[in-house]
Amino acid sequence: MERRNALKTLAGSVGGLISLPAWASGWTTETVRSARQFLSLSQADLLADMVETIIPATDTPGAKALNVHQFIQKMVADCYDKPAQETFRKGLDSLDGLARTAFNKPFADGDVTQRTALLTQLSQSTEPAQKDFYSMVKGLTIRGYMSSEYVMTNLTKYQFIPGHYYGCVPVPAKTVSQPK
Amino acid sequence: MGQPAVDCKLKIEYRKLIQMSYLNIHAQALNTYDAIVIGSGISGGWAAKELTGKGLRTLVLERGRDVRHITDYPTGNSQPWEFEHRNQLTKEVRDANPIISKCYAFYEGTEHFFVKDAEHPYVQEKPFDWIRGYQVGGKSLMWARQTQRWSDFDFDGPARDGFAVDWPIRYADLAPWYSYVERFAGISGNKDGLATLPDGEFLPPHEWNCVEKHFQQKVAGRYKDRHVIMGRAAHITQPQPIHYQQGRAQCQHRTICERGCPFGGYFSSNSSTIPWAAKTGKMTLRPNSVVHSIIYDEKKSRATGVRVVDTQTKQMTEYYARIIFLNAAALNSNLVLLNSTSNRFPNGLGNDSGVLGKYAAFHNYRAGVSGEYDGNMDSTTDGRRPNSPYIPRFRNVQKQEMGFLRGYAAGFSAGRGSRADQSGIGADLKANLLNPKLGGWYVGSHMMGETIPKETNYVALDSSLKDPFGIPQLKISIVYDDNDEKMVKDYQEQMTEMFTEAGFKNIRLRDDHRNPGLDIHEMGGVRMGRDPKTSMLNKWNQLHAVKNVFLTDGACMTSTSTQNPSLTYMAMTARSVDYAVKAMKKGLV
Repeated sequence: MERRNALKTLAGSVGGLISLPAWASGWTTETVRSARQFLSLSQADLLADMVETIIPATDTPGAKALNVHQFIQKMVADCYDKPAQETFRKGLDSLDGLARTAFNKPFADGDVTQRTALLTQLSQSTEPAQKDFYSMVKGLTIRGYMSSEYVMTNLTKYQFIPGHYYGCVPVPAKTVSQPK
Repeated sequence: MGQPAVDCKLKIEYRKLIQMSYLNIHAQALNTYDAIVIGSGISGGWAAKELTGKGLRTLVLERGRDVRHITDYPTGNSQPWEFEHRNQLTKEVRDANPIISKCYAFYEGTEHFFVKDAEHPYVQEKPFDWIRGYQVGGKSLMWARQTQRWSDFDFDGPARDGFAVDWPIRYADLAPWYSYVERFAGISGNKDGLATLPDGEFLPPHEWNCVEKHFQQKVAGRYKDRHVIMGRAAHITQPQPIHYQQGRAQCQHRTICERGCPFGGYFSSNSSTIPWAAKTGKMTLRPNSVVHSIIYDEKKSRATGVRVVDTQTKQMTEYYARIIFLNAAALNSNLVLLNSTSNRFPNGLGNDSGVLGKYAAFHNYRAGVSGEYDGNMDSTTDGRRPNSPYIPRFRNVQKQEMGFLRGYAAGFSAGRGSRADQSGIGADLKANLLNPKLGGWYVGSHMMGETIPKETNYVALDSSLKDPFGIPQLKISIVYDDNDEKMVKDYQEQMTEMFTEAGFKNIRLRDDHRNPGLDIHEMGGVRMGRDPKTSMLNKWNQLHAVKNVFLTDGACMTSTSTQNPSLTYMAMTARSVDYAVKAMKKGLV
């Protein structure tokens, strides 16, 4: 059963959380695709360093440890159109060159300050391709990080089963923003 | 196993002989039931429950696969991070399915419950987004669960305003049946005492938030005839014994209903009527069964059964019954009748009048109004709510007074979101992301406009194109008209006025010009009426011309009014089955 194997692979990739319901026998290759390798290993490593620079480990895990780079790779491969995929790949490929110009080392070998400065420079670049590349990776990093199991479970305390809706509760003091 | 092979062969030959001589009569007996229900969605599920509950051996035909409650909700308990694309549709899915991808409820977690574009092709003579769910339970799995009753202001519409034909029923005919289905399904709501939206058998209503309450009071203060109420919704807010007997529990406010609810917190055929019917031992459920047509026997002047194409084997089989309930969903019920031709009915079963397929209509969901509110900043909400407030129709209610016919209802809700500062990079960004600030209140509304059924809005069979089962494709020709345009404008103006009255700011108007169909409230084509010359069904949802065929889904709707229609289909179905079984016992059908 090829599709069941594909499903098991898939289940493994998201932490073995998907069980196999009877319904799964109706799955086809249309609905289940095995993970495609979209980036080369070195590109993937570079992306991991990039997301870790954007959201680093502190007293809690950073984006790399939460596999946000894997998530980004999957999203770009499966959900984005060709031009965006090209922007993404070219942006990654240019990163080491830019790093060498900026601090004479590959991106991965730069220290936090150097890597941060380079990405900040990208965010302010006048070259649309650089700016687009950075904002795409940053946006996906934030999304992947905030929707990761670790963050939703331990930090933002997502309630899967609230069990209620209370319409009017006082705002907890520390979360109030100043009215405009 | 222990027998010699030759013995086995002999047995098979002998069986073949028997089969040859008795095949027809045997198959006929084997394939004969008291009743056949075509479709297992919201109305078909009710037909199955009522028919089996009255002791009839009932065959329920469903064109899609089986979906059993709980076991077949593959994403019913999936956490957000378990979706590899975080519920976003892939480019491949979007590119292959431009139509279904427009549906708000179609996402990574629900893809398996919607019909993909290529699965069942149709002809868009005019642009129409046909949103379908082919499985046991049909669209009752993914529906929006709003359950408002009709009133006589709605049933009186066509006769008073001179369009379509007069409804052959009034509120009094349906009221006890509304109560009957509400008690079983579990409908939450408040008894608001409005003539325009009669109260029902309600479980406790959902809560309001402060800004919604504020809006309600402001609207009540300015307009005598406009009311903002909590939507009546098919959610079990306080389970009764009848719900526990169905194995259903209290709604847990997860608001991922469209993936199937393991708690049975909202009503669906899968959680409620189908298992209830199965428990009687009288139901045979046959998934993967596309009904090709209804068989009409000219000698007996009645329908004798249906022709079914098995979607797996592509083989056609006939099934027989004394009565047939057609609940294939509005447009597919039209399709079945149109394709059921005979010498007696060359233009479709029961179509003496020539109106079959015509006078189709829908709900106009094109427009929305949104805004912001800077009051009530000291309060917020906690938890989630699978429902929202509702504004019943207030235009042209007592009499015709606007430059357009009929009117619109509206949904309304307010909420407050958190936003994090996403500028910066590194540890600062991370800290900001984890310390979002509560933003101001946003408010939003959308319209649900009544569209006027017209002969020129129709469905018909395409003369050459066939679907994968050899059945003619449905050709759909349904458009907005000038009345709809006027109503969009009036809705936007009136909602702006009400928002302004409530002190809402930054009011924005939307008209997305969506295609008809995306409302998923397509209706008509097999309308009810008093006169067989101008309608298809009588007051019992019975074909005027073929007394043992009943139709109680959206196709029967003479007009659409503004309420979400499913509750009305449920009530009509229970009422119609009650009549059909009594009539059967008296030998009338």
